Order: sequence, then structure tokens, then C-alpha cells
Amino acid sequence: MKRRTVIGSVGAGAVASLGGCLTRDDEDEERPGNDTADGDPEPDDPDLEGTLRVATYESMVDGENPAGPWLKEQFEAEFPDAELEWTVPESGINHYIQRERQEADLDADLYLGINVDDLARIDDSLSAGGLFRELNADRIDRSDRIRDGLDVGDPHGRVLAYDTGYISLVYDETVVDEPGTFDDLIDPEYADALLAQNAQTSDPGQAFLLWTIDAYGADGYLDYWRDLADNGVRILDDWSESYYGAYMQEERPMVVSYSTDQVFAADEGYDMSRHQVAFLDDQGYANPETMGIFERASKVDLAYEFLDFVLSNDAQAEIAQRNVQFPAVEDEFVDLDEAFDQYAHEPPEAVTLGYDRLRGNLDGWVDDWAREFASQ
Amino acid sequence: MSRSGRLAGGRTWLARHVLSLAAIATAGVLGVMLYLPVGVVFVDAVVDDGVPTLAAFHEVLTDPFYFGVLADVFADPLAIGSHLGALLGWLGAVSISLSIEYPIPGVGLGVPWLRIDAPGVRTGLFGFTAYQAALSTIASVALGLPAAYVLANFEFRGRRTLRSLTILPFVLPGIMVAVGFYAMFGRTGTLNSLVGPAGVGPFPFIEWNPLAIVIVAHAFYNAPLVARVTVAAWESVDVRTVDTARSLGASERRAFLDVVVPQLRPAVLTGALLTFIFTFMTFPIVLALGGLQLATVEVWIYDRVQRLAYTEAATLAVLETILSLGLTYAYLRYESAQSGLARAASPPPKEPLFPTVRTALTPRRLAIVGYGVVALIVFVGPMASLVIGSITDGSGLTLRHFSFLLERQLEGESFQTKPLPAIRNSLLFGVGTLAIAVPMGVVISVLTARAGRAGTIVDTLAMVPLAVSGIVFGIGLLQGLVFGISLPGGWRLQVTGAVAIVAAHAVAAYPFVTRNVSPLLANLDPAMVESARALGASRYRALLDVELPLVASGIVAGAAFAFAISIGEFSSTVILASGTDSYTMPVAVERYLGRRSGPAIAMGTVLLVVTAASFVVVDRVGGRFER
Repeated sequence: MKRRTVIGSVGAGAVASLGGCLTRDDEDEERPGNDTADGDPEPDDPDLEGTLRVATYESMVDGENPAGPWLKEQFEAEFPDAELEWTVPESGINHYIQRERQEADLDADLYLGINVDDLARIDDSLSAGGLFRELNADRIDRSDRIRDGLDVGDPHGRVLAYDTGYISLVYDETVVDEPGTFDDLIDPEYADALLAQNAQTSDPGQAFLLWTIDAYGADGYLDYWRDLADNGVRILDDWSESYYGAYMQEERPMVVSYSTDQVFAADEGYDMSRHQVAFLDDQGYANPETMGIFERASKVDLAYEFLDFVLSNDAQAEIAQRNVQFPAVEDEFVDLDEAFDQYAHEPPEAVTLGYDRLRGNLDGWVDDWAREFASQ
Repeated sequence: MSRSGRLAGGRTWLARHVLSLAAIATAGVLGVMLYLPVGVVFVDAVVDDGVPTLAAFHEVLTDPFYFGVLADVFADPLAIGSHLGALLGWLGAVSISLSIEYPIPGVGLGVPWLRIDAPGVRTGLFGFTAYQAALSTIASVALGLPAAYVLANFEFRGRRTLRSLTILPFVLPGIMVAVGFYAMFGRTGTLNSLVGPAGVGPFPFIEWNPLAIVIVAHAFYNAPLVARVTVAAWESVDVRTVDTARSLGASERRAFLDVVVPQLRPAVLTGALLTFIFTFMTFPIVLALGGLQLATVEVWIYDRVQRLAYTEAATLAVLETILSLGLTYAYLRYESAQSGLARAASPPPKEPLFPTVRTALTPRRLAIVGYGVVALIVFVGPMASLVIGSITDGSGLTLRHFSFLLERQLEGESFQTKPLPAIRNSLLFGVGTLAIAVPMGVVISVLTARAGRAGTIVDTLAMVPLAVSGIVFGIGLLQGLVFGISLPGGWRLQVTGAVAIVAAHAVAAYPFVTRNVSPLLANLDPAMVESARALGASRYRALLDVELPLVASGIVAGAAFAFAISIGEFSSTVILASGTDSYTMPVAVERYLGRRSGPAIAMGTVLLVVTAASFVVVDRVGGRFER
């Protein structure tokens, strides 16, 4: 949900000035070389005072029952001399890539909500290993709690996962049987049944596309999508439009969505038979969300403490339940409500394309796919 | 000179130069808020590593994906022989046959149909975008004109309120329209539950023909625009010209065709032009209702921006802008060629809509009732469905979506979006936009009204805010004004915050004032202004006392649009408001949109109610200046 309907691609950070103004370029901004291969050395006397500016996406701080306010309160309780300031740039990571290119102030120390395609894009448009610092894992005691399989494979070691979601299908069992495989979807039984999202504009849409690339390969995925098109797949703009608009009005009995769908359905009192979760080929496409510290951060010590704090038991449980995502740490390090365990379904097998496969390929794959479908 | 004399002299000087000063201020606002940001992006299209180049244009123009068969022509414009050969080959393959078609699915009613079989022509993205924009324009005019006819010619209870509310659809965010349309036309939507008892359906209205639904959605946005512009012109028709024609023996129909229609034509075409430009640059609606198959150029611009491919995005945007401005220029040439007769606004009298029960059955009245039903389905239906969505959930009626808004207002953190500041900001920015956009629009109208061809060019350039992609304008604002532009000496020019938002809204809104006022102004007899000037009035006084009262209906219509544009504006607001407390109602709707739709739809309902109330106020206040 990081995208805006009209214009997610542009945005601004925390600029509170009124009207036109002239300012001096801030020449004091820390711009360390950070050429040291071993990352940031552990300081003897860490600086834990001041304001930590954390950039993130909208639903972390706004919407219903978000985790952001809780994180701020708890972090400030744990570090009494520190203040946490949220900032939500409209265009997500693109905002910082643009700022980096133009050498404008970053106005943030760390970013909560980077995914692996963001890393590929950073490296495609800045320089390899750019924008974020290489993390010194020794400074983050809880980093070894993170589950296997949530390592996004960044060769520059810039990010750590803090939660993950799984893309799956949600279907109406009163209309269609549970689809078991990708090949089922091109069967006449599922003609005109599936709603997907535009991979150009939507996170789950792109994840579903990448999932088919994982299943059929970069050479075969377009053929598979042609079969899907022949079977009447409908590709709408975004998750919100496809779900609230089309799926909830029973236009179609199947939609590409998240495996945590039942958590919301139960809360809203929806008929559960319309909210069954299907894992194709016993898989779900994992979208780990990660966090990293900006190269030009000014509160590096506090930022390291924040990363460690986010991986603590309480924070992991709160983030998972409030954002309705799965925790990033092993089960022994987190206690979740029973209701969450009951309604949030984890796929038998998680698949995802790592950094190496995405780097340099992602834009081309999406472009070829979109041209195949658009207005021709 | 005495002090009072100096003061009076100053006042005279001001009165003499107020138009020039307003023109300079207008140019200043446009320079900083429009041409600078747009220029920053457009430079990307033609400069590569500091070297001017047209390579990006060549690449886009010769890509069949964008231009279809025209791409070959662009690739090799001089190979006329082979292009003609291709055209002849295509013509030779066209065949015409007579067949029986069954236009209504499920109904065995055959209709003879002249079938033209032509081999497919690859139109490319630009071709398809223009095609759907043309269809959307036709639909908007077809749905807008009857509304204008009824509002301008009949008197009935609530006419003024209804006229005020016609532009309500204009302010709705795309997601709200999409949700409203699915709730109205979907398989389980309101329309199906209405026809259900008759034993038919449910019909998959949206799946049948997504293009048709997209066009209806575009009409939902733009037919009110056509209606509004036309009503303004209709109400300034001089009824005495009609009377004269009638006294000279013309039938009612003849008088209408020969006298009224020519006076309405510029307004109808203005509405059609604006609709075409808007729907050419449509983005959220096509993908939300129609899907990727109906993608437009703007969708690709958005995608290119997402992928940081600014050169290609800028190139597409430049081509889009050239097309829109070319069309605008052609229209303005036509408009300025339509010089009217001297006339004072003396609007036609309105007849009662339903004087007696018996006359309610005349064909004309029945047609109006029929149109009313269509309007209920297309305009009221989606909005009503939205409101219903805000007070229901999976298990029936609920107020919890609104209690979320209340709770957020009372307990929200400083970094969260609260409803009341959003309402307050929207209204403040709306009023601020009115205050800037109306004078700007009028000044441009006055300056271009009598300037001939040069005026047409200036007028065309003044339409740039409508012709530039909203997405591109957004990046321009971000890179040019929010990040700031480096000036010598380590200084940086930055423009953000509330003042910048109002200025951006005014820039987006003033073309509506201009387009509502210009056709009326051009129809005034120059002799009236000249005699006022000859009697000693300054140019400014003549404008204030002679011209403005005669074009008041256009100004009020333009002002209503300016207010609506400001309330509904999203893309530049979201950029300039980010990180500040200057968010507006549509921004709040987007921010509340998460995995639950309730809070966002409740906020959308608040947006509808607050905007509806303020439109009525704007119109009532504006109405005092009309005759």
C-alpha cells in the first residue's frame, strides 16, 4: 500500500517552511566516506541523545491501529534522551534516490520498509551499494534471531528484515474450488475468475508477476501470462481497487492478495467462505520488509539501537499484529495472539527472487509484461 | 502637492495601472509555480548529459507500441510511396457485409447490421488514448447538454441547489469513484439489486464492456463540467435576440437553431475541449475500472517516473502536451473567429418544470424525466453507494468508520492525519484559490480578448496547466521547488507549505475561469468599452463597471470550478503538504486507505458533504453578482 493512486512517484519530506524562502545549503551535514569494509565500528561511548528521524510508509503510522505510534512510545521509553520522529515521503525510496542524486538534504537517518526491488533500483540508479550503510551486524545483538529465508541477498549487507508478508490467492469457495497449481489457473474451470494487479503500479501485482517468473522462468513467464489472458485474467490498477472495488462487489471469485486476508475478514465480520486462502504449488511469494541506515545518517548510534529494538520480542509481536504481517524472528523470540495464529496463514514453502536475480532484470521483465497487455 | 493630492494621484496611478500590475503578478505566479517546475522536467527530454538531443523523441515516435502504424511513418517520413502502398493494401482488404446482430446479450432480438470488416490497425498507446478520450468526450457532452438545458430553461424547487451541486463529482478521488462505480454497477451492486426483482440479472455490467464503463466514469467526472459551462452561457443568452427573430417570423425551432445555438456553441465546445484534454490524460480511472488493457499514455508516464526513467517520462509528457496545446490552439482560433453581437445579458425566462399534472405527460417532459432517471443512475448512484458504504460493514449498519475519524481527531498523534485540519485546510485553500485564480483568469481573458492572433497564442500558453501531465507537474514541483534550486553563493530557492499549495491550486484552476469568461467577453461589443473610455473611465473602471457585470455568470461558473479544483486537487498538494500539517481532505482519504477501506470511505463521505455544502455557499454568494 505504499503507492498513491494518482501520484506515488513524487513527494516530499519534512519541509515545514511556509511559502517561498531562501535557505543556506547546510554545509555541516555529515557526509562520511564510509570506505571502511568492516562497516561501522562499535563505539565505546555511543551517542544516544537527540532526534532519530525514521522514514517509512503510510500504513506504518496512519490508518487503523498502526505500529508506528507504539514503536515511538516504547523506543522513547527505552532511550529517555532520544526522540523518534516519523517521516513519510510520498514516493517511498524514490524520494531518497532523487535527493541523493541532487545532493539535497536527506532529512532522515533510517528507513523502515525497504524491499529487495528497492535495493536493486538504488543500485541501478545510484552506485552499487549506495544510499544505505553496510551494517555492522556485531552491533545488532538480535540480528541472529532473524529466520532463514528472510535474507534478501544484498551483497552489500545494508538491510535487515523486520517482517514479511506472503502473496497468495484469496478465493470464494462457494463459487470455485481451491486452485492447487499455477497450471490450474489456465484451466477452463477458472475462466474469467482471477483478478490480478498491474505489476507496474502495485506491490502485490509485481510480487505475483515475479512468482510466475520463479515458476516458469524468465523465458517462459510471458507464455504463461498469454495463457492466463486467454483464460480471462483481469488486471486492475492496484490492490485497493481490485479488492475493495471488484472483489468485494463479487465481480470475480479469485483475487491476488495476502495470506493474512482472514485476519481482516474476521475483524470486519465478513463471510469467511469468500475469504479462503490458496497457496499455488504449496508456495507463497515472500515479500520481506527490511530496514537500513542511510549512508548520510547523523544519528548512527541511535539508529543501530533502533534496529536492535525493532527485533526485540515485544516490538516483533506488535509490528506483526498491528501491521498484520509475519514476524521476522524465529518463533521462540515472539509471542503472538491466538487469533493471529488462527487467521494468518503461512505457506508450506516461501519463494522469493533475491537481489541477484532482480538486479538489472526487474524493469525489463515488468515492461515486457505490461506491453504484452496494454491497449493493443 | 498636498498629501491628499498625492494620495489621489497615487490612486489614479493605481487605477490606471492595476491591470498591468495584475498581469505582472499573474506572470510571476505562473513563472515560479508552472513554467519553472515544468521546465525542469522537460529539459530532461531534450538534454542528455548536458548535450541537447532529440534521440529520446526519435525513439518514442518510432516505437510502434506508442504510435502503432504511424511509427513507420515517423521512422521514415520520406518513403511516401511505401506508406501509400500500405494504405492502399489496407483499403483493399476492407469488406462490407450485412449481418444480423444481437446487441442485447441474452435477448434474442436480431437487428440488421452493416458490418465493416477492416484488418486491424495498430493504433499504439497514443492512438488508443485519443480514441477513448474522443468517446469519453462524446458521452460527456451527450450527458451534460440535457442537464444544461433543464437547468437553464426550467424553474423548479431546488434548481439553484442542484446547479450548485453539478460539479460535485469533480472533487472525488479516483479510488472513491472506482469503489462507488463497483458498488453501483457491480454484480452485487445497487443497479442489479434494483433490476433483480424484475426477474433478470444479475448482469456483469462492468465485465461486459470495461471500456464502456470507463467512458461512463469519465462522463461522471466531465458531463457536469460540460453542463456547468453551458448553463453559464445559456443564462447569458440575450432573450431579446430570440424575440426579434420570432417577431420576424422565425419558428421557435428556427430561432433556437439560428440565434441560441450559435451563442451556446463556444461554451459547448469549451466543455468538450476540456473533457478531451482531461480524459486524454486520465490515469487512475482507466486502470481501476478498465484494467491494464485500457492503459493510457499517462499510465506509462507514471510507470516511467516510478522507474526513475525521467527522460522517457518527460518525452511522453512533452508529446502529450503538444497534442493538447495544438488542439487548444485550434479551438481558440475558432473561438476568436466567433465574434458576437452587442448585447446585454437578459436571460431567457424560465418556465415551470411541471406546471400541472397533465402537462407532465408531454413528450418533452417525459424526455426530461427519462434523462432524470439516467442521471440518477450515473451520477447519484455511485455517490449514494459510497455514502452507504461508509455506514455499513460486513454485518450491517455501523458507525464505527466515523468513530475512527472522531477518535483520530481526539487522540491522534501529531504525525497522524486528523479529519478537522483536513477539512479546515481544504476550505482555506479553496477560498485562497478563489482569491488568486479568479483575478488571474479574468486578467488573462481581458488581455487576450482583443489581441487577435497574438492573443490566441498567449491564451494557448495560459492553458498549459491543463495540458501538462499531473505526474510530470508533480516531479517538477518536487525537483524544482521542494528540493530547491541552487543559486550562486550557496543559496537555494525553495517554495513549499501552505502558500505554495494555494499558488499551485490557483495555477491549476485559473484556466477554468479564463475558459468560462473568454467566450462571453469575446461576444461583447468593443464599442461599449470604448464609449466608457471616451467618457473618461480608466481601462480598469471600464472592466469593473461595464464588462464584468455582463460576464458575471461566466465568472461565477469559473469561480465554482476554481473552488472545486482546489478541493479535489491531489498530486501537487500531496507533494507540497508532505511532512507538514497542510494536508487536505483528498490527501486524508488516501492516507486512511489501508487494508481496511472503512476509514477512507468515511473520510470520502465527509469530503462529499463538506464540499456539497460549500458549493451551495459559493454559488449563493456568487449569485449576488449575477443579474
